[in-house]
This record gives sequence, C-alpha cells and structure tokens, in this order.
Amino acid sequence: MTSGGALALDMQAAGSAFDPVQSWIDGYDQRPGLVDELLDADGYLRGAWPRFLERFGQLGEQEVRARFLSGERHIRDAGISYRVYGDQREHAWPLGPLPLVIDSRDWAELSAGIVQRAGLMERIVSDIYGPGRLIAEGLLPAAAVAGSPEFLHPAHGIVPPGGRHLQIYAADVGRGPDGRWRVLADRTQAPSGLGFALENRMVLARAYPDLISDLHVERLPGFFQSLREGLTQACERSDPRICLLTSGPYSSTYVEQAALARYLGFLLVEGDDLVVQDGLLHVRTVAGLKRADALWRRIDGDYLDPMELRSDSRLGVPGILDVLRRGGVVVGNMPGSGVLESGALGPYLPRIAERLLGESLRLSDPPTWWCGDPASLAHVRANLDGMTLRPAATPVRGPERDAILGPHALDAAREKAIAALRDRPFDWVGQETSPLSTMPAWSEGRLVARPFVMRVFATATRDGWRVMPTAFCRTAEREGADPTEMRNGIRSADVWVVSDSPVETPPLLSTITPKIRRIAGHLPSRAADNLFWLGRYLERAEGVIRLVQTHLGRLAGTLAADTGSDVGTPTSLRIRALLDEWESIAEPDLPTAALAQEALSDREQAGSALAHVLSARRSASTLRERLPVEAWRALTELQDLLDFGEAWEPSEAQLFGRAERALGHLSALSGLSHENMNHSAGWRFFDMGRRIERGVNTCAFALRFAGDQAGAEDLGVMLALCDSQIAYGARYLTGVSLDAVRDMALLDPFNPRSVAFQVQEIVRHLDTLPELRADGVPEPHRRAALKLAGTFATAEAADLNAAGLARFETEFEDLASAIAGRYFPGNADALRPEKLTGLA
Amino acid sequence: MIYSLRHLTTYRYARTVRYARCNLRLRPREGDGQHVLASSITVTPVPKGRGTREEYFGPQTLTLTIDQPHKVFSVEATSRVSVARAALPDPESGPSWEAVREAALALPTLGADSPAHFLFPSRRVPLAAEVTEYARQSFLPGRSAYGAAFDLMNRIRADFRFDAKATTVSTPLTKAFALKAGVCQDFAHVMIAGLRGLGLPAAYVSGYLRTRPPAGQPRLRGADASHAWVSVWCGRDWHGDGSEGGWFGLDPTNDCGVRDDHIELARGRDYGDVAPIDGIVSSPGGQKLKVEVDVVPEDEELP
Repeated sequence: MTSGGALALDMQAAGSAFDPVQSWIDGYDQRPGLVDELLDADGYLRGAWPRFLERFGQLGEQEVRARFLSGERHIRDAGISYRVYGDQREHAWPLGPLPLVIDSRDWAELSAGIVQRAGLMERIVSDIYGPGRLIAEGLLPAAAVAGSPEFLHPAHGIVPPGGRHLQIYAADVGRGPDGRWRVLADRTQAPSGLGFALENRMVLARAYPDLISDLHVERLPGFFQSLREGLTQACERSDPRICLLTSGPYSSTYVEQAALARYLGFLLVEGDDLVVQDGLLHVRTVAGLKRADALWRRIDGDYLDPMELRSDSRLGVPGILDVLRRGGVVVGNMPGSGVLESGALGPYLPRIAERLLGESLRLSDPPTWWCGDPASLAHVRANLDGMTLRPAATPVRGPERDAILGPHALDAAREKAIAALRDRPFDWVGQETSPLSTMPAWSEGRLVARPFVMRVFATATRDGWRVMPTAFCRTAEREGADPTEMRNGIRSADVWVVSDSPVETPPLLSTITPKIRRIAGHLPSRAADNLFWLGRYLERAEGVIRLVQTHLGRLAGTLAADTGSDVGTPTSLRIRALLDEWESIAEPDLPTAALAQEALSDREQAGSALAHVLSARRSASTLRERLPVEAWRALTELQDLLDFGEAWEPSEAQLFGRAERALGHLSALSGLSHENMNHSAGWRFFDMGRRIERGVNTCAFALRFAGDQAGAEDLGVMLALCDSQIAYGARYLTGVSLDAVRDMALLDPFNPRSVAFQVQEIVRHLDTLPELRADGVPEPHRRAALKLAGTFATAEAADLNAAGLARFETEFEDLASAIAGRYFPGNADALRPEKLTGLA
Repeated sequence: MIYSLRHLTTYRYARTVRYARCNLRLRPREGDGQHVLASSITVTPVPKGRGTREEYFGPQTLTLTIDQPHKVFSVEATSRVSVARAALPDPESGPSWEAVREAALALPTLGADSPAHFLFPSRRVPLAAEVTEYARQSFLPGRSAYGAAFDLMNRIRADFRFDAKATTVSTPLTKAFALKAGVCQDFAHVMIAGLRGLGLPAAYVSGYLRTRPPAGQPRLRGADASHAWVSVWCGRDWHGDGSEGGWFGLDPTNDCGVRDDHIELARGRDYGDVAPIDGIVSSPGGQKLKVEVDVVPEDEELP
C-alpha cells in the first residue's frame, strides 16, 4: 500500500473558516485495530483521498444530494435491481454516493497480484482436468479436489476449445491486518458483479462527470472491449455469434446479465433457446437454427448438460458437453472451473505457485487449514478459539451463514464443530478469524466507516490477463450484515482508480472500420415469442380500459351518441357482460364505480387491466436487453397507475381520469416502439402481437355493439371503443348508421383502428420476416394472413352479418396460432423435454 | 463361470415422441475378475446418431439421438461374460477402519478407482446423521474395515424388509431408511451413506445376479432383474504382494460378499452415475417402462 497523503490537519489551512472535509474526518468513526481505506493507523488520509475530498468537499452537502438524486433516477428508470435468493421481489439497487478511491500505485500492486493469480488458476484447472500432475506430485490432495461438487467428472479430459478454461476470473479482496490486499475468495464459476460495477459507474458518471475527468479516474470501455475480443478470438469463425447463457429472469442477477448482453452486443439466451445438432451448438431463431460459436455461461457448470451432469437441470443444453469434446463451441468459463472456488485449495496455492510459475504468490489468502490433512486438523483442533470453520467445498469467504464456528459462535456451535471434525474432518477448513477491513461511506452528510468486500475482475486476452480498473464493492450498513452477499443491509459502491496523470480515454473515432450491419442478427424464437405476447397483453389491457372508460364516459355524458339512459340499458349490460366474459370482473352486477375499479386494478381477476399489464411486464422482463429503457419506465408507470388497490375509493370521475391516463401511457408505448425501437424482426413481432389482439378485440366489439340489431346507443359505443367518433363525425354528417359504422370499424383500410388495417399490417410484417422454404410456396401462416387480407379487401359493409363477424374472430385466433407455430415452435410447453425415467 | 445376458428395455409413450437423446450403460465392465467375451446392443427405432463415450468411472457408454417420430423405444443388450473372482477374505482381516480412513485421504491420485471420489455425499446419497449413527454400531474402535462393513451388511439384511412396492426409483434415501424397506437400490444407498458418514469410501455398483429357479422347475424367460450392490474400499494392498486389498463387493440385499454370482455392469457414486438408460425425450405425455432380464449360466440354454 502507498503511504498516506497529506496530513489531514493541513487541509484546514487551505480552506475557509469552516472546512467540511476536516469536520468529516473529525467525525469519522474509524474502528480501532481495523485497517481502513480513508485513514491510516495514525489518522492520516491515505493515497488519493486528499485530492478527492478536496473536490468533493467543494460540492457541499446540498449539491451532493442534488447530483446523486439524478443518479438514483437513472437506477429507477433503467430498472436496475437484484433479487435476494428465494425471494420473488426485485429490490432497487442500493448504491452509495461516495466512491471508494484507490490510488493508481496501490491499484497497480493489487492488479499485478490478480493477473498472477488468474494465470495460476488457469494452470491449476487445466492440470486438474488434464494430466493431474499436481495431485501425483503431492502438491494438491486428491480429496480436496474430489470433495468439490464442482469437480465435474464428465469434464475431465476435455481440451477447452479456444485454449482456455477461464475467460473471466474474479477475486473477492479485502485488506489483511498488515494492510496488504489479500484474497478472501476466488470466483471462477460464473462470477456476478461485472454488470453491476458497470451500472454503478454509469450512475456516478452522471452525478460527478467533472470529478471523474479532473481526478483522472480510469475508464472502463477498454476492459469490456478486451472481454469481447477475448471471446471472439477464441472462436473459429471471424464474425462469431456469442451468446450469454442466462439463468433466467428469476435468478438473482438477471438484470445484470441483460445489461451486460446489451452493453457487449451478445445474444441473451436461455437453455431452451439452444439446441445441439450435428455436433454443433445452435440458437433457435425465427430464421431457423443458427450456429452459436461461443457461450458465456451464467449458470453453474453442473446445470449445463442434463445428459452428463445434473440430469434434472432445465437450464442447460442437452449434449453440449459432446460439442465441447469435438471443439465445436467456446464456453467461458468451462464447466468444472468452479472447482477452483473450493476453500480447501487455498493452503496449497503458495507451493503450487512456486512449482508452476517459479514465483511466490503475490496475493495471499487469510491463514487457512484444510482439515483433511492430519497436521492441519491437529492445528485447527488446538486453536479452535481463534478459528472460523467453514465447509471446505465452498469459497472460503462464502456467506457467513455457512460457517459453523465464527466470530459470533456460541458454545453450542463449538460443540457442533468438534463433532463435525470427528467423522469427516475433510469436509471443513479452519480459517483464522479476522474482521473485514473498512472504507468510508456517506451517511446523512457524514463519513462513516463500513466493513467492505471488493470483487476485482480480470479477463483473458490474447496478450494475457487484463484487470478491470474498478471493482464491484459492497459495504455492510448494519452491524453483523455480511457484504459477501447482496441482501438487506448491504450497499454497493463504485470504485475509482485515481491517477496523477491523465488516463487513457475512450477514443471518439474508432481506428478500425467495422463491418457495416443494420440488424443485430437473427432474433431468437423465444425473444420473438415474448415480444409477440408483450404486444398482445398490452392490447388486451387497452381493450379492457376502453370498455371501462366507455362505460364510465356514457354515464358522464361525454359520448357523442349518449341517449341519456342509465346503467341498466341493454348496451350497458352488454359492456358488463363482455367484461365478465373476459374475466375482468367477478360479477356483472356491481355498482359502476366498484365495477370499474375491479376491471382496472384487481390483480386477482385474471382479465383485469392490471393483470394484463403485469403479464406484459413479465414478458418484458425477459427482454430487458431488447427494449428501450423508456419502454420499461413507461410500463412501470402504467403498472403504478393501475395498481391503486382497494384502500382508495375513487369516484367515477376519478376512475375515468385514471383510465384516460392509462390509455395515454399505452399510446406513449406505441409511439416509443415506433420511434425508438429498430424496425427489425423484434419490433415486427411486438407490433404483430398488438395488431392480432386489436383485430380480435374489434371483432368482439363488433359482434356485441355492431350486430345485426344494433341501435344508435350500441353504435355510439362501438365508435368509442374503436376511438373513431371524431373521424366518424367528420366523415358522416347524418348520425350513426350500421353500415357506415361497420365499414369504418372493420373494413376501412385507412383507419388505423379498423380490422382491415390490422390485417394489412400483419401481412406487411410477414412479408419481411425470414422464410424457411426455398420453393416459393407460401408457408401456412402466410397463406392464412393473405386469405384474411383478401376477405377484408373485398368485403362490403352491406354484406356483413353476425355469423361473419364471429368467423373473423376465429380466423384471427387461427392466424395467431399459425404464426406461433411457425416462429416459436420449440417454446410451446407441449415440446418441453422430459426425462426418461424408471429403473431400467 | 460364463454367463449369457439379455437385458430388454421397452418404453411405451402416451404420445408420439419426435426427438430423444439417451445414454446406454449396458456393456458389462471389464476387469476385476470379469471378462467380456461378446456384447451387442440393438435399438429401435434406428437412431440418427450413435456414438460412444468413455465415462469417468464406467465402461463405454453408448450415446444415441433419435429424430424419427416414435411411440415405442426398445433397447436389447446381449452379452457373454466370464466371471472368476478371487475368494472372499477372512472376516475381520485387513487394516482398521480408522487407518483406512486416513489412507483414503493420503492417496495421491484421482484415477477412476481412487477412493477420493467415493468419500463424499452425492446427489442420491446425502449424508444423514441417523444413517451414520446406525452404521457406527458396526464400527467399533480398531475393528477391521472389511469386518465392520461386512457386519453392517448383515445388519441391513436383518433390519430391512425387501418390498418392491415400498419405494420407487426416486424415493429419497432418508425415507427408505425410515421405512426400513425397499429394493436393492435402497439398501445399497443406505449402506453407502452409512459408510461415507463415517468417512469411508463406498461405491454403487449396478449389474446382475445369478438366480436359481426353484428345484425341478425350468428357468422362466425375462424373470431375472437388474441388481445393485456396494463396493467398499478397505485399504490398498494388505500384504504388500497385491494379493488382497482395495475394493470389495458387498451385497446387502442378499447378505453376501460378491464373487462369481454377480456380474458387474458399471460402478459410480450412486445410481445416477450408472443408470443403464437415461436421457431426455421431447414428449408431452407419460411413459410406461418394461424391463426383462435373463441371466443364464453357460451350462444352461437361454429360455
């Protein structure tokens, strides 16, 4: 560590009468005996803190708050969140406004240690899954390796395509009592945190752009470029398709995975999106199977292939290990690399470093003993008081909850520890108990000392390991909270590596001319499916809201065709009946306000507007990397608007207002999709979903409000539901007539609300989507669409009748099924693979 | 002894299966007194792809992909195997179980036979305090590992009831232990969990057992069954001359040491490693499974 910078007291002389920096330092609750990032043992400011605090102090408390508010807005808008394992809710991302500031010289030393350690880990894992010399030479006990559930036997003997087991290495670090950095845990499986670190920087870059540039804070884009290049260069093809294999929208770090996929331009896929055929890995796309060259996996190795690993895994890809054996796909990190996370390995690393690298280990572990070794066991037994006992197979600084003897152990735990060491000592490691070092955090205008863990990342490139010049840092906000896991009481912080001289800034103009492309590649079938349903759910919500609004509006006298009748008219009853049929309400006889409230916001009703919006959000949550940030925000706001619960008892007028605002948000979403989404395949599926549903809804409306016997009141409602009153009034001066309303609502190809218009748009979309046949014969779904378009183009309003309207509704549903069957065949539940079971 | 083996498995699906991918572990193991004279596997429908893979612990595994629609999938494995194993050791011979436990940790190898693989809980054999305590009664201080394991086998046979209806292939070990009932798979898993709970290496073995038709009656076709037992590591090379030591087969279902009546297919950490057939099929419906096994000593004819 570099020695402290300016003497804290000196700063007062430079400042005015009241120096905020000095008052922060005076009030800082540095903990006796613990190493701290801000102050050294003598109370001197460390490293780059004087430079940072001088600038930060000039901002003043108000300014810090105001600036950070804008950062927090970004967190909300971008939907940055995480889940606690086993919890359904998403938690807003907790980020402290104060970065951890590290001097570039101190960082360089840490960084060199990380590079060495990453290289060592690669050598160890390739030996474990290869020749096994470390075990044969007695440098690594066989049982220390075999005891890890991540020692995956089927991975033995596979030579990693691309030449590396590890593409990404991460280490959780903190400072030891001597002030030197040390590694609390190695993360080699599928480390999370890269995306969160990136988001943290984006937030702080919004809040303090001037500080970042003036203090010469190291930038991140270069690292991410190296990460992408590292994976690309490992592939056989020059323009590879790289996929990020996610653990799915319910995993704790899905949001991060989506953010990384978007930032790096990788295809975000789930196991179901991938299929092994002819010895290669493929993505199911709307254009058929397309080869996947590389996979960055974020699922645990054991889940990767149900054929050879966990047979009950639904997250992986059957047969992918076979593809790996043939060298057909690059996987980072290779399945089985999680074995390196085992705490039992720690004690052996110094000797292995000497043997394999001829160097001494730059970053040490806290003193650790694997109890499978008789001498180590004796040592741990003799020194139980100062020990933390943890499962040997999990990362050493794993969650505190796994430790049975730790700093807070009671006598009962001690007894348990002694018993555990009796039969199976090799399941445990003992580690000298030492508290985490601390760093300053910002709390209500003061600086406070918080225990922290920092995860540092490195990526493999052709020229060796490159370390990300920041880290994913977590602090414990409460006594006893454990910053090794993201959960309540934990906050994250950005990490600034601060240099004396200007740092490399990302070039504005690339020196290489990229290959020009206009679309990001073929759309995976599952994403198409979700986009399609996102559109359908939104349109379903709109249908419900329009019905409710029309019902309320008629009573308020805002309808052009209002005849002054009350709740009980046949038309009103028909509105209520349709809401009932759609399961938007539980019973059709409620008072109007209660009925409207239920149809809009009752999440128990499967067909309420809120229920559809929630479904839309679920579809959208798997599409985070494909939707504009604004769309996610609009969807969140729409949900908030409708989710007003039972506590509030709004008047009919207030409900009308809500419905109107909700419709406003829906049309904003339409506008966004048209103006802010690339009009590539994804957008087409979203738009087709909306058009199909709008067509179905309009047919349903026409059956009830423009039937053969429809009266003036019905036709007025019909026009309102199709949002066509004004257009109708401008076109026909004679009042409502059945044929004219039917023509406008169903057949008019210029009215964007008519059924004919929807069909026309669907045909247009299908024309531009990829074909699977090469013989020029239209595929079934296109035939269905063309046939429907022909019907509408040639129909005349006078010839329509109720039976015909009912047929249109069915034909629309058939078209929807045909489209689904063609573009997302593998995603139907009907085709989910099941296991061959039975004692054979 | 030379055996002719036939193992016919038939899956019938409620709905048409369009795609299947499976592993077949049906070729008997080579070595340990066993020699495979002939072996063949016939599959219907004809697979699109067929490959072999050397699995870590096991013999050769056949891997198949089938992409033609089918409602019946059948696998017939036939082989000829000669079995001539060494005599069982004297009970209570060999090193103490405490010494074996230390020796298992000290062996510097991760070869397929290394005891290190078989010390740890596995997916189907979790460790349970009650099973460990049950096993401990056989493991008196200083007793020979082989003798104590043999005693544990005796006790399982005495305390557990053979009942094919009590458990299924997916019944958890702790439930079978609480019921004190089950089939060979359950007995083997319980015994393995007890041994591992005490820190001793134990493996799961799948295979067949020679049966003898009741006196005066002919052998019935398809009447045999696949079988499972335990192999326990009792310390390497007891006498320093390679004559005795290493792994010993113990069959808790039949309360006997494994010699020439047992034909070994595969060994692993638990049933999951050695399942004769596993894999995935794309099918929405259910499936029915039928298994017919014939184990015929050479001096008899296949029925």
